[in-house]
Amino acid sequence: MSNKLKVRYYKPKSDIALDITDIQNFVYDMSRCIKCKGCTWVDHTYMPGAKFMTRCPSATKYEFDAYGAYGKMRIGHAMAEGVLEWNDKALEIIYACTLCGACDVGCKRNLDLEVELTLEALRVKAVKDGVGPMPAHKKIADNIVKKHNFYGSAQKDRTGWITKGITPAKKADVLYFVGCTASYVNKEISQSTAKIFKASGTDFMLMPNEWCCGNTLFSVGMLDEAKALAERNVEEMRKTGAKTLVTSCAEGYRMWKVDYPKLLNISTADLGFEVLHLVEFVDEKIKDGALKMKKPFDTRMTYHDACSLSRLSEPWTPWEGKRGWMGCVEPRLRRRRGTNGVYSQPREILKAIPGVNLIEMPRTRENAYCCGAGRGTKEAFPEFARFSANHRLEEVKEVGAETLVTACPWCKNNFTQAVKANGDDVQVLDISEVICASIKG
Amino acid sequence: MAISKEIYSVLETIVGTEYISDDPVICEAYRSGPGGYENGLGYERVMTTIPGCVIMPRTTEEVQKIVRVCYRNDVPYVPYSTGFYGPRSHPHVEEALLIDLKRMNDFVLDEKHFYVEVGPGMVYSPIQQECMDHGAYVVIGGGGAQASAIANLIGDGWSPLSHRIGLPHRRILGTELVLPDGELIKTGSLATSDDPFWGESPGPDLRGLLRGYTGVRGCLGIVTRMAIKTLPFQPERLEPTGISPNTALALPEKRIKWINFVVPSKEAQVKAMKEIGHAEIGGAVTKVPLFWRAIAKAEDKEHFWEMWGQENEETIANFFIVRVLLIGYTSEEQMEYDERVLMDIMKEVGGEARRTKPSDESWIKNADSAGMWLMCGGYVSVDYVIETLSQATEHGPAYAELKKKYTPPLMPDYGDPGWFQSFELGHQGYSEFLVYWDQDDDTDKVDQFYVDTSKMNIKHRFYTSLLGPHQPLYLTGPKYGPNYHHYMLKVKNEFDPKWMSHPPVPLAHDVFVERAPWMHNMKDWESPEDLPK
Repeated sequence: MSNKLKVRYYKPKSDIALDITDIQNFVYDMSRCIKCKGCTWVDHTYMPGAKFMTRCPSATKYEFDAYGAYGKMRIGHAMAEGVLEWNDKALEIIYACTLCGACDVGCKRNLDLEVELTLEALRVKAVKDGVGPMPAHKKIADNIVKKHNFYGSAQKDRTGWITKGITPAKKADVLYFVGCTASYVNKEISQSTAKIFKASGTDFMLMPNEWCCGNTLFSVGMLDEAKALAERNVEEMRKTGAKTLVTSCAEGYRMWKVDYPKLLNISTADLGFEVLHLVEFVDEKIKDGALKMKKPFDTRMTYHDACSLSRLSEPWTPWEGKRGWMGCVEPRLRRRRGTNGVYSQPREILKAIPGVNLIEMPRTRENAYCCGAGRGTKEAFPEFARFSANHRLEEVKEVGAETLVTACPWCKNNFTQAVKANGDDVQVLDISEVICASIKG
Repeated sequence: MAISKEIYSVLETIVGTEYISDDPVICEAYRSGPGGYENGLGYERVMTTIPGCVIMPRTTEEVQKIVRVCYRNDVPYVPYSTGFYGPRSHPHVEEALLIDLKRMNDFVLDEKHFYVEVGPGMVYSPIQQECMDHGAYVVIGGGGAQASAIANLIGDGWSPLSHRIGLPHRRILGTELVLPDGELIKTGSLATSDDPFWGESPGPDLRGLLRGYTGVRGCLGIVTRMAIKTLPFQPERLEPTGISPNTALALPEKRIKWINFVVPSKEAQVKAMKEIGHAEIGGAVTKVPLFWRAIAKAEDKEHFWEMWGQENEETIANFFIVRVLLIGYTSEEQMEYDERVLMDIMKEVGGEARRTKPSDESWIKNADSAGMWLMCGGYVSVDYVIETLSQATEHGPAYAELKKKYTPPLMPDYGDPGWFQSFELGHQGYSEFLVYWDQDDDTDKVDQFYVDTSKMNIKHRFYTSLLGPHQPLYLTGPKYGPNYHHYMLKVKNEFDPKWMSHPPVPLAHDVFVERAPWMHNMKDWESPEDLPK
C-alpha cells in the first residue's frame, strides 16, 4: 500500500514472527499501548455498573499501573530497549499475573496488540536472563521433570482414580488425557468423565504412560522443558492411533490445542488428531442423541468460564512475516481474539439439565474474571489466588447462585478452598460431576 | 528536589506502605509513551519523564495531606486519574510525585434529584449503566468510556449526545477541589452543606477555576469529588450483544434508533442539522470523519487500508452524511413524531436514509476512542471549535487545507473535513479535527503542524478550545485576550506560588518550543527570557 501512495514515505519492512522466544517480536505491540485500559475494564458495552468493573485480577488486586497489561507493556518495552533491569519487583509484576487472556481480548476489541504473547515472552525472557521463574515454580518444575507430574507423586499412582466399573480400552478412537490434578487430587472429575464416556457408548483409552501436560513449565517461561514435554506427549499420542484427545481440564486443553502447536511451530490442525474438552464432546453427544440429561438438579446455578477453555482456546497457527507502513503486516494475519472460545457448549449442557436455573454472573464469557489459580499463580502467589477467588465469589453471591460450576479442576479447587475458608453457602462443582449426576437418572 | 527518605516516610504514613512506591519498575509503568494519545511526538519525548514516586490516596483528606507535604518540601506533583490523556497528564519534571487517584472511585446515584456523585477514579461506562438502570443518562465523552468522568468533564467531554444533553461542563454540580497547597475548596451547594445538588457557587462561580475553558491539566490542584447532573432517559433496556470484538448494544427500536442519511451537499448537511435542532428532535446529530466508517467496517488494520486506499479527494469531497439518533424519551409515540419530522426535514434537504444497524457500537454507553489508533498507531485531536453551526463548518476545510502541507507524515485522509455536529439542539456547532500518523516516521512535522494550527486559528479567528496548557501560552494568550496569558499566570501564581502542581503547565508548550530545535523556526511570537527550563 505505502509505495502505491505518492505522498507516503517508503518504510523498509521488518521481519517479525509470533515467536515468544524473542521479546523483540513484540516491541511494536508494547510500543503501541495507549493506556485505554481495555485490557483491564470489562468491555464497555457489557460493563455491568459500578460493581465488577474490571476483568484483570492482577490490576484489581495490586492497583499500581505496573500490574495492568498497560503497565507491563511499558515495563517490557523498557527492558527490550535495554533501559530497565530486572529486580524483585519486576519479577513479582511479571509473575503475579494469571495469564488469563482477559487483557488480550480486551485489547483486540480495538487495537489488536498481541498482549498475551507479549506477557508469555516476558516470562521466557525472565528465564533466559536467569532471574525467573519464582522459587515455588522451580519446585513444581523439579516434580515434573523427576516424577512426571505436578505434585511429585509416584507415577504408579497416576491411575489410582480408576475404580470398579471404569474400564479403559486398550485401543480406541478417543483418548482421555486425564492430567495430573484429576489423576491424583480431583479423582471425582476423572471418574465422572469415564462414566460419561460409558453412558454415551464411547470406548476410550488412556495414554500408556501419561505424563504431565507441562502447563506450569510453559506458563512460567521454561520453554526448553515445556517443549521437550510437548514433543514427547504429542509423539506418544500419535503412536496410540487415537483420533481424538479429550481432556477434562481446561489448562490441559489449552496446552494440547494451543501451546503444544506453539511450542512445536505447527498448526493445531497439523497435530494429526482432534483436541476436545469434555464439554465439546458432551455437547455433540447430546445433540446427536447419544447422551440424555434425565435426572433433575433443582438449583440456581451459575457457570464460571475457565480462561483456558474460553478466551484462550482458539487454535494456533504459526505466523511469520513482515511489518511495514502504519504497522501493517504481510502476509495477512488472522488474529486470535478469543471470539471463538468454548462459550456456548457448557451453557447448552447445563440448560439441558431438568431443574437447573442457569443464571449468568455480571462478567461472563470473554469478560469473565479469572479464578486466580492458573498458570503458576497459586503456587507462587497463594494470597493473590485467594483474593481473585473471593472477588469472583462476590459475583456468585450477587446473583444468588446456590451452585457454582466450572470446567477446570484448578478453578474448582481454588473456589472450593475459598468457600470453605469463608464459610460461604455455595456448592462448587466441576461440570463433569453435574453431567454425570444428570445422566444417571 | 528529590523525594528524600524522610519525605517518603511521611507520605507512607498517610496512605500506608501498600499504596506508595518509588521502585523504578513501578514508576516505569507510569511512563506516558511510547504509545497513546499524542505520544510518540516531540512533546512526549521532550517534556515527559517517569515519576520519582507514585502514591495512591483513597480520600480527599489524604490528598490534602499529600499535597501539603509536597508544598512544604518543594516536591512537584501531578494528579493522575487514568493516564489516558497522553503526555499532558504525566510528569514534566524529574522526581515528581505522581498522585494516582484510581482508588478514589466512589459512586453515589441520587435517583430522585437526577445526579451522580463520583471520585476521580470512576470512569464513564459504569456510570452510564447505573444511570440507565435508574432511568437516566449522561454523555460519554469523545475521550471514551474508559475516561475518568471528572478529568473528562474538567477537560471537555462532549459527544454526539451533546445535541440534546448540552455541553458537559454545564452539568458539573457540587465539587471538591484540593488547591495546590492543600486547602480545600467546595463549590456549589457543597460550600454550605454536604449536598452537591447545585453547581454554582454562592459568590463567583469557581467552576472556571478548576477547568477554565477546556481544562488546566491539573496545574491548579486536584478535583477529588464531583456531582454530575443526569437527565431522564427512556425506560427500555439496551441489551449488550455479540462477542468481542463485535459487541454492541441492541436497541429497542420503538424507543431508540440510529438513522444514517446521505445528503447532496455541505449546505444540505448544515441545513439538516439546523432544522433538526429547530424542531427540537433527536438525541444526537453528527457527521463523523469518513475514515471512521472504514474503521467500523474493517476486520483489521490491513483491511482498513485496503478500503481507505480506494478513496480519493473526489469521493471524499462528494460524500455528505448526517447520522441521527432518535430517542423516545417520553413514549413510543413521541419517537414516531420525531421520526416523521426528521423525514420531512430530510425530504426538504434531499437526504436519503441508508440501511442502519439497529444497534449502538459507540456513543450511548461505549465510545470507541481506543479504536482510533487501529489504522496508524499515532493519534491526537489537534483542535475543537464550538461555534454556530454555519461558522463551525468553516473550520474543517481550513484544517484540511493546512494538513496537506504536513502530509506526510500525517495519514492521507484526502481532505476529509473532520468531525462536525450539532450541540444544544443546534444552538452550537462543533468541529473537531483529528490527525493520525505512524510514530515510527519522522514526526517533527506533526509537532510543527500542531503549533501551526494555532496560527491558523488566530488568522481565521476560530475560537479554539485548545488554549493555555495545550498550545504556547505566549502565542495564543495575546491574541485571545489580549491579556489571557497574564490572567492565566496570575491565577496560577496566586493559587500555586511555588509552581508545585504539575509544573511547568500552563507554560509547558512554550517550554517545549524552546527545548525542541525543530520547533525554533516556528516561533514568531514574543516570550519572556525566564521561561521555566
